[in-house]
This record gives sequence, structure tokens and C-alpha cells, in this order.
Amino acid sequence: MDRRQFLAGLGLSGLGLAIPSSLRALGDSSDVTIGRLNYGAAGWDVRDSGIRRLLQEVEKRTSVSVNPDYPTLTLQQEALFEHPMVAMFGDRGFDPLPVDRLKRLRTYLQSGGFLVVDSSEGVRNGPFFQSVKRDLSRIFPDRDLAPIGGDHVTHKAFYLIDEPVGRLSISDSMLGISDGDRLLAVVSQNDIFGALARDNFGNWEYDVRPGGEQQREMAFRLGINLVMYALCVNYKADQVHVPFILKRRKWKVD
Amino acid sequence: MLNWELYNDGDLLWLGDWSLPWLIALAILGVLVIGISAYDLRSMPGRRRWTLVALRGAVYAFAVGLLLEPAVDLKHVTKVKNDVAVLVDTSRTMELRTVEGGTRFERVGEALKAFESTVEQRGSEHEFHFYGYDGELQSSSRGALAEADADGNASNLTGALEKVSEEFKSSDLGGVVVISDGIDTGSIGQRVPPGETLDEATRQLLASLEAPVNTVAAATDDGIKDVAIAEVRHDDFAFVHNKVSIEVTVQVVGMGETSFPVQLRRRGELLQTRTVEVKPEKRRYDLTFEFVPKEIGKEIYSVSAPEFSGEALLTNNLSHFLQNVIRDKIRVLQVVGQPSWDERFLRRFLKENSNVDLISFFILRTSSNVNLVTPDELSLIPFPTRELFEQELGSFDLVIFQNFNFGPYNVARYLPEIAKYVKDGGGFAMIGGDKSFASGGYADTPIEDILPVELPSSRQPSAVINLEDFRPELTDAGRRHPITQLAFDPEANRKIWDSLPKLRGTNVVAGPKPGATVLARHPTLRRAGGKMPVLTISNAGDGRVMALTSDSTWRWGFENVGQGGTPREYSVFWNSAIRWLIKDPELKLIQVDIPEENYAPGSSLKANVRLSKPDYRPARNVDGRLEMSYRPFESLENRNEAGDASATPTMRGSASAERKANDIQRTFTTDHEGRHSASLPVEAPGIYRVTARTETEAGQLEDSDITLSTADVEELRQIVPRDDLLDAMARATDGTFSVLPNFDPSDLVFDASERVEINRRKVIHLWDSVVVFGIILVLLAVEWTLRRQWGRL
Repeated sequence: MDRRQFLAGLGLSGLGLAIPSSLRALGDSSDVTIGRLNYGAAGWDVRDSGIRRLLQEVEKRTSVSVNPDYPTLTLQQEALFEHPMVAMFGDRGFDPLPVDRLKRLRTYLQSGGFLVVDSSEGVRNGPFFQSVKRDLSRIFPDRDLAPIGGDHVTHKAFYLIDEPVGRLSISDSMLGISDGDRLLAVVSQNDIFGALARDNFGNWEYDVRPGGEQQREMAFRLGINLVMYALCVNYKADQVHVPFILKRRKWKVD
Repeated sequence: MLNWELYNDGDLLWLGDWSLPWLIALAILGVLVIGISAYDLRSMPGRRRWTLVALRGAVYAFAVGLLLEPAVDLKHVTKVKNDVAVLVDTSRTMELRTVEGGTRFERVGEALKAFESTVEQRGSEHEFHFYGYDGELQSSSRGALAEADADGNASNLTGALEKVSEEFKSSDLGGVVVISDGIDTGSIGQRVPPGETLDEATRQLLASLEAPVNTVAAATDDGIKDVAIAEVRHDDFAFVHNKVSIEVTVQVVGMGETSFPVQLRRRGELLQTRTVEVKPEKRRYDLTFEFVPKEIGKEIYSVSAPEFSGEALLTNNLSHFLQNVIRDKIRVLQVVGQPSWDERFLRRFLKENSNVDLISFFILRTSSNVNLVTPDELSLIPFPTRELFEQELGSFDLVIFQNFNFGPYNVARYLPEIAKYVKDGGGFAMIGGDKSFASGGYADTPIEDILPVELPSSRQPSAVINLEDFRPELTDAGRRHPITQLAFDPEANRKIWDSLPKLRGTNVVAGPKPGATVLARHPTLRRAGGKMPVLTISNAGDGRVMALTSDSTWRWGFENVGQGGTPREYSVFWNSAIRWLIKDPELKLIQVDIPEENYAPGSSLKANVRLSKPDYRPARNVDGRLEMSYRPFESLENRNEAGDASATPTMRGSASAERKANDIQRTFTTDHEGRHSASLPVEAPGIYRVTARTETEAGQLEDSDITLSTADVEELRQIVPRDDLLDAMARATDGTFSVLPNFDPSDLVFDASERVEINRRKVIHLWDSVVVFGIILVLLAVEWTLRRQWGRL
């Protein structure tokens, strides 16, 4: 493979076909977006600009077609199941969620939904985190909220990431609940979406500590990786197997 | 009075119960007595002295003899005959003609006649046991063997010798005679190639006989000419799209230095040719054929060598076998133009299916994306287009283009390859999206040629994409087709389709192609005089293609759950679609299975029919027709060059008549499990196809299976006489080796009998007699008298 083919293979060469710019997927509903979860307790609506900024960056940096006009969803809404990825924010503890809502969330996650929980409390194991942990253990009593290792697909779904930082870097790893090799829910205590939030004038809403703008960039990369993980799941884990799989079948006469 | 004539044998016995030390002591005492006596008489003249010493010694000897209690054991004995096993090869190679004329077995017949005199002459010493052997050792008689037919399908000389060794283990085996052409289909024949010495295991077997093995060769390999497909080694099963190796051993004798082709054919179609370069000193040639089966199902293969004039046998120049090509796992290549929820749910479905090996390639970034980092910080890999679409394409059962536009990735050059892959039997599905169908640039490409829909020539957005939500309508074909049967009951199926979440937008296509089957159509969009197809299928060459113009079937799985439904409909739809695309035989509502791959002529084959309803429940008490058609192997030889299975071969007159004679038609009715088993007669060698036909609510159903009937010619794969093996066996056991017709039975070597039978016996005690005492007294008296006369008293 020469350099030209390599670049073309990476998808870096020019588009061979001019697709009208107005054509984006088969309508907006086919575009990817992230639902913001209104779980019915105070604090659910923090970081409201973070999702839009993340989706805009996904649009800019990847091939994914996004709809930055993200919806706000409750667990009772039918529309919840139109959006396979939802984000849940909070900066304070909340009362245990009603059983019927937890059941619906369990159905959502088991059917293919993906939940990203981002704590903006600024402390480890804060009340919001404890509330989330409590309700996740009510949903999946037989599964633990376990640390996500650095070799997990979420660390290489698009960017190669060493540390899952956000506005803060107070936790070395994200936590997750899995079904087999698929993550159902990811919990971060580093306020990823706080690092992405901008006001209407384009200014960053929060300072990023301790790494400054470089850490903010890493937070974007983590957010993009989470979107890519939601869309491709363990696709990146496949790649190491491809040569093996291709070689395993001898379909040609030498 | 003792009648000596009654006895013909005898032994001297010592009845005294003296132990060895006592005997030694007596001997020493005797020496002392004689020595002292000789010393005492030393002054006497020599004659007198030694006379007196001799008399003293004699007295002592008689005295000791009395102590030892001698007796004579008189017997009348007769010798017992030992056993001689005569093994006669009755396998089919013995019916082959020798170079000098007459068959090998005719020579054996002459030899057995000559054996008559030997049986008479040596009958007093040996009991002759005659056996015939082919695959088994069977007791017979000389006369019966001389008149027998050599028709055995094996010549297991090893097994025959093992049986003789076991049978005569407790007997006195005096010898073995083997009359054969030396071909051993048992283990010795395989372990000891022509011209090589006997191996240790063979020597041990021969030694276990404890008797000479006389071998008589019915023929030698001098002057014989033959080319034989001696052995074909193959697996009973092969995996589709996986390389298969067929190993063939060709035996060539008497052909001089030459070369000839050996061909592998499938259903008569030439697959491969290998050339055998014949050297006079080499007889066995190993060849390997390799090919990749493209379709599942049973296939008839044949390996053949040309027929040469003067060959000892022509039937062994050809070998047929059957191989069942099955699928291991479904290999799916999913190529995705951009990550999306549609991709995500299809990938999840495929990954969770244990029968699927999934290779996914997603375009994660395009040239229009901002690139802020070095490649080292990204996890992206190059799109291995050449590997996937050129080198490894044939290994996949199904290729899915999911919202994938080929243009930016230099895939255009591979589109003809992909179209060819489909026409050669592959499966292909195009799933909608803004990078699919016309908006993916597929109009006027080789991919459009294989798609079941026409693409609009215009690239205006309104001409290639429609953004309206819609719920697809099933066509008549869609209501019956397994892909769109989400429920068994048609009404329930319709209700499910009516309740599924709406699809969001569609690619616009110009209409179905002739011959394509529209399963679902758009409720409002109209093209080519009818509602626009949304889900369309068709065959393309030997392959199958599906066009789905939506990118939101994932909603049938996920959104449907949110509305109180289940993800089952999504799974059933895609499972059925994949199985249809890869031509999964399990989707057949009627299945015929013949469990065995080969039946002997004259036996019966068993055919099992399984009939299912469209919902795959057993179809009970359904009538159908069962047909068995027969084709002789000769019909394969006259196939057209392309080897088209549907082509009617030009039959030889006799073969055609034979074919009709073996065709069978009968009716059947399925049982409560929807099954029927039939036993059908197999009369002649050839190919038998059993076809079951019936008509159900799903329409006309038909399925068939094939099997072979081959005359067992394995024995005839090795026809060259192994006189060298017979000679080596005789040498190893000190037996004789002869080559018919030069055979003199009197030369045969047998061990003498080691056993006798005692008819009469009498023991006479020699010591218990007045005479003996008298002799001792007389000797003492004589000694005393002489001593007095010679002045020694």
C-alpha cells in the first residue's frame, strides 16, 4: 500500500462523490444525538450546554452525522427509546428513584441503551455519586459498579486516552456496569461535560484544573470516545482479531 | 509269558528314590572299592589282577543296580498327526488373467488338484485343514475350494494368519500353506511395500505360528500392465469457502517411462488435472488436489486416469466419492460508511449471534473532518480495501454495505470484484442511508447490475432521498416470504408489521428490476407505475441480493421495546434475511436426507423426509410424492464441458434403459412429526437422487438428496501380484516358495509331529528277580574260587 492509498484508506482523501450538503442522513431523526435525562430531582439540568458542544465536536472531528439539538427525556417517555444514548448530570444527592422508573431504565439499558453519568460535584464519592450508585445497584443488584481499566475500548474508541479527565481530575478511572463485554452505564466523577460547556458567546463556562486547556482537549476526546463507544461498542476491540480471523479460514488454493 | 510283539517302544526306568548326593556317594564308593581292590592285587599278574577287579566291580554294579530299582517301561504307541493349514485366497483379484493366460484362480484350482496326492502321501503324518480367505477366514475343503468362485471383496492375508495362529495355539501346527497372488489388504500389505523386507510386527506374527509357512504364488508381477487409482483419501465433510485437499495414490505397473494426466471432476465437470511422470522403478505416485467448494450440499467427485490398452484391469482407473459440503460459521463482512444507530444495532445483533463470524469496518473519519492531532493519538487504522475486496472477499458468505459510499476510499476498482463475488454465489445486502444507493453513487456501477432495484439517474436530493416517516406495506410475496414472516399466522404477521415503529426516511429507487421480488413497499411514494419498493430481493447469478432502502430498522428492536413491544421482530427479520441471503438449507420447509453416502448394489437406501409448515411447525399427515432417479456413472463421462448440473447428459443406450429401470415413484404421507422414512432398492452402481415433492399452503415444495452406489472395487485397487511378499514370508519361516504353475506339493516343508498316543503299557521290575540275585551270587562265587586258586585267600 503506497502513501496515497494509505491516506485514502484513512478516509483523508477527497470525497469522490459530491453529496449535496443538505443531505444529512435520512433526515434529522437518523442523526446521532444524546438525550439529556431528567430524572425528576434537582440538579438534573446542570451542564446543559456540554452535550451540544460535544455533539458539535463529534460532527467536526468524526464521520458521524449528529443532531446537536439534543432532547430532554424522562424515564417515562416513549421517546426515551428513540435515543440509544442518554446523559445524566447532577451536583447533589437525590432521593431513591421510583421503582417503575428504575424498571424502565433497566429495560432501556438491557435493550441496547447506553447511559453516561457525569458528576459535577467536584468531589469524589459525593452525594450525587452515592445516589447514582445506590439506584444502579437497585437496577442491577447482581452487578457491581466497577472501575473501567485503561485498556478498555472507551480509551481507544477514536482517540487513544491515558486518563479519563474532565473539568477535574479527581478520579483515576471511570466506573461502569457491564453486560458481557458491553458497558451499559458509565459513571465519571471528573465532570467531563463541565469541561465542554460554553456560554452563548462562546466562552468556556468553567476553568479546567489542574491541566488547563490541554486537559479540556482531553475531556473532549473522552467525550468523543464515549459517543463512538455508544455507536460502535467494541468495534475497536475487534481490530486485533482481524488478521487472525482472516487467516483462520483457508479459502484459497495456494 | 510276555508277548513282546504287543510293544513297539520302551524306556528304562529307575524306580529307586535316591537323591543325587546319594548317587554321587555310591559312585565314589564304587570307585574306592575298585581302586582298593586293584591296589590290593597289585602283586598279581595283570590278567588275573584285572579279572578279579572286574568281577568285584561287576558285583558292586549289580548291587548298586538293585538299590536303584531298575525297570523297563514297555509301550505300544502310535504317532498323532499334526495340523497343516492350507489358506486359499478367494478374493476378486484371483479372477484376473495372468500374462500367460488363464486366471490366477484357475491356477490355484490346478494346484489344489495336485495337492490330492500330497494329502494321501503325507496324510499319516499331517491333518490338512483347508480354508478360503477374503475379508474373513472360512473353513472349507480342498474340493470345494477347487470349484469355488473368487469373488471376495478383500484379501486379508494378515487377518487369516492371525486367525490361524489363534486357532492352532494349543495344537501342534506342523505347517501353513498360503496359495495367493500375495495381495494383502490387511496390515502387512500396507506395512510392507513392494520390494521391502518384512517388518518386525510381521515377523512376530509369523513366529507366533511356530511352523514353516509355505507360500505358493498364483502369479508374478512380470509382464503385468496396469494403472490404478489405488487410494483416494478425503474427509467426508468439507466446509464451504474452505480449501479442501484430496490425496490420491496412483499405482502404475508395466507402463515403462511415460506420463499421463489424472483428473478430478465434480459432477463430471473437470476441476483439476495432475500429471503423473512414470518412472519404471517407481510404482506408487501420490497426488494432491486442492479446491475451494463454493456451495453447500453433497457433491459427487471422481478421480480418473486414462485407460491404456493391455491393462490388466480398467475399472480401477476410476474412483467415485461423495463429499458433503457444510457451513461452519456464517462469515459476514459489514462495511459501514459512518457510525450510526442502525449500524450499532445490526452489529450488536451479528456479534451476539454465535453462528456468525463478523468482520466490521467502519469509516470513522473523512476528509471533511477537522484533524487536530497526529495519527499516533488516534486509534484509526487504514481501510484494508485490497485485503477485503480482493484478497479475502471470497471467504465471506455475506457482504453488507451499510450506508457506505465507495467513492472516497478507492473501492470503485473493486466493485466488479464484488459483483463477481455475488454472481459466483455470495450474498450481498445494501442498507439505506445518505451514502447508499443513488446517493452513494452506485448508479451505473457493477453494483447496480446486481441490485434488485433500478437507481434513479438524477442526483438531485429530492430524487434520491425522501425524508418522510413511513410504515412499509408488505406485498403478496412479502406476506409469504420467510424474511418478512415475523409471525406464523398471516393475520398476526400483518398486525405486527402495522404496529412496528415507523421508519425514518428512505432512499429513493426507480423501481424493481425484472425478476426481483418486492417484499415491502413505501405506502405513498410511487415509482415506475407502482409503490416504491423498500425491501427487495433477487438472485444475481448464483448469489442473492437484498436492497433495504431504510437506515432505521434498528427502531424495530429498540424503539419497539419502549412502546411495550419486544426486540424479537428485529432479530427475526435480520436472522431470516441473513439466512435467506446465504441460502441456508435450514430455511427449507421440506428436507430430504439420505444418511449414508454409499450403498452396495443390491441393498436398500433409506431416505428421510421432513416437512414443515411455513411457521416451521411439523406438517402432519401431508401427502407428497417421492421419486428416486438413477444415473449410471457412465452418464457423467458424457457431460458437456461446462459441467452444468442441469444439463441432460447424452446417455448411452444401455445406460438410459438401465436408468429408467431403476427409477421409482411412490406417494407418501407424513407422520405426526411431519416426517416420513422410505426404504428404496439400490440395484446397480451409480448415482441415486431422491426427490420429495408436495404442495402446502407455502406453495410447491421440493427437495432432494443424492447418494452413491459403487461396486466395492477396493479390492481391485491393488491388483499387482505380491509374489515378493509371499517369498519373504516363506524365507522368514523356513518354508518353501513356489510360483504356479510350477508347483510340486511334495516339496512343501512341514514339521514332524511331536505327539504320540500310548495304546498299551507294561512296566517290568528288573531288580525284583531271582535271576539278578543269582547272577550276583554266581559272580561272588567265581571271584571266591579264582582267589583261592590264585592264592589270594
